[in-house]
Amino acid sequence: MTKRVSVFDVGLATVLLFLCGLMLAPLIHIISISLSDPLFAQAKLVYFWPKGLQFGVYQKIFAMDEMWRAMGVSIVVTVGGTLITLVLTSMLSYSLTRGRMPYRKLVMKLILITFVFPAPIIPSFLLVKSIGMLDTLWALMIPAATSAFGVIIMKTFFQGVSNELLDAAKIDGCTEAGIFTRIVLPLSKSVLATIGLFQAVYHWNAYFPALMFIRSKELYPLQVLLQNLVVKKGVNNFMGDVQFELSMPVTPEMMSAGIIVFATIPILLVYPFLQKYFVKGAMLGSLKE
Amino acid sequence: MAFPSITDREKKGDRVIKRLASRDEFILMLFAVPGLLYFLVFKYMPLLGNVIAFQNYNIFKGIWDSPWVGFAHFSRMFTFDEFFRVLMNSIRLGFFSLLFGFPAPIVLALLINEVKHLWFKKTVQTIVYMPHFLSWVIVGSIFINLLSYEGIVNQFLHWLGLSRTDFVTEDNFFLSVLIGTGIWKEVGWGTIIYLAALSGINPNLYEAAMVDGAGRWKQMWYVTLPCLWPTMIVVLLLSVGQILDANVEQVLIFLNPLVRDVGEVFDTYVYNIGLVGGQYSYTTAIGLFKATIGIALVFGLNALSRRLTGESIY
Repeated sequence: MTKRVSVFDVGLATVLLFLCGLMLAPLIHIISISLSDPLFAQAKLVYFWPKGLQFGVYQKIFAMDEMWRAMGVSIVVTVGGTLITLVLTSMLSYSLTRGRMPYRKLVMKLILITFVFPAPIIPSFLLVKSIGMLDTLWALMIPAATSAFGVIIMKTFFQGVSNELLDAAKIDGCTEAGIFTRIVLPLSKSVLATIGLFQAVYHWNAYFPALMFIRSKELYPLQVLLQNLVVKKGVNNFMGDVQFELSMPVTPEMMSAGIIVFATIPILLVYPFLQKYFVKGAMLGSLKE
Repeated sequence: MAFPSITDREKKGDRVIKRLASRDEFILMLFAVPGLLYFLVFKYMPLLGNVIAFQNYNIFKGIWDSPWVGFAHFSRMFTFDEFFRVLMNSIRLGFFSLLFGFPAPIVLALLINEVKHLWFKKTVQTIVYMPHFLSWVIVGSIFINLLSYEGIVNQFLHWLGLSRTDFVTEDNFFLSVLIGTGIWKEVGWGTIIYLAALSGINPNLYEAAMVDGAGRWKQMWYVTLPCLWPTMIVVLLLSVGQILDANVEQVLIFLNPLVRDVGEVFDTYVYNIGLVGGQYSYTTAIGLFKATIGIALVFGLNALSRRLTGESIY
């Protein structure tokens, strides 16, 4: 083919640029509203560029104790939940890759069955309640700790670690525990990173589990607080009962926009750097056993 | 002085190896225990917990002492108008999400695949994958803002001389809003699996097609699409099984009293009536009904697909 730009290429680029615009425009619009002068925001004159740049909304958000507490909860659940996932999944998957493990095939079948029959909502809720996890952060971290999916991905990866290497370690007197911690885990950083990232994003974004299991306001993760403030219009009430030292008035819409941006920024900041791991993870997930 | 014979030494060696081996077995089993416990407790126990669908479950009496009622909840279910409304809503949402949501990433992947400049391709990919990483609370909040009566979409319609509509509180638009936002969030992410399949296509096929005089369209039609077929079937089969599993996080965000009649689907109904309303047994029966349909669909279509196309997931 020639290197000359064809009509096809121009059309293709136009369509793709338009689609990228569709993906970015809503975010840019929200960011612009949150950064604009309330007068322009009120008059609905803000589109894709802030008018009368000001940061009052963010000053108010930064002053909200609730927001920081919810973010703290989200961080604890994300970090804790992800660690639990990695420990459980890697240990189970490793044992399933070793020929010496008794009942290996049976266990694998038991795990695969949960793929077809997912745990139902109400019985899962009653279970969490009956073991006393209701209204604790454990309820957010433990019930979602691992899955057939995660085990399959990790097991597939562990199986790729050279057997000769493991045998050599064995001959040198290494136990299974030693092989796992000193050889397999260090060689599996990439799969640990991908599974960990997926789980971290899941925890950071999840709000349904908290809706089910969390009652105390102090234990609300960020997404639940967001839902209360923005979707349920709690911002209006909130604006009433917090006294602001700032002279600049802020509209509830701007406050909502600011809260949305505040909760989105962390993910937008890290996402481009982690993208390649996510894509790798999505591809691992598409492997057929 | 008697040296141990070679056979003795071998025997001793055997014993050592055996002891080490049994210790390894023990360690491996210990490794599996936490994960296994997890699966038994959090995946299998709730499946057994489904029995409360056949009881009048009382939270104080528990599963053991609650009275058995047989299929009463299931027959009650079928006498409820509300149940049929929820069923129809779920089917409608599932069907249209699949109808529009399934081809969308395939089309996008084909477009991205045609891009020859690597930097442009990567930039496009980074941008279209991004919405997948935003939570439904965020995506929902953004779109509720955009689509409300005074939102930017309505300003645009107004500017075009059309009338304003509050899309998020209007029955007629509820389904479109769900499907549209669903595609917005996941279309880019969905391309990954197809792009992987596309990169695996043997370039010789394209060269052969070009020699035969095929242009870009014909190459796409006769080479690319047939190569994507297996991936498409697997994705389709997996999504058909989940046709009634609406995304709770998404629907709950957009659901409001004004659109309840068209918006309530199985999972939100189970949440609202079961968890919030405390009707555990009745909604477990509904969940069981839904799961049964889903499983039947997967197995049925899997068998059908194996017959027709030779592709299957089991």
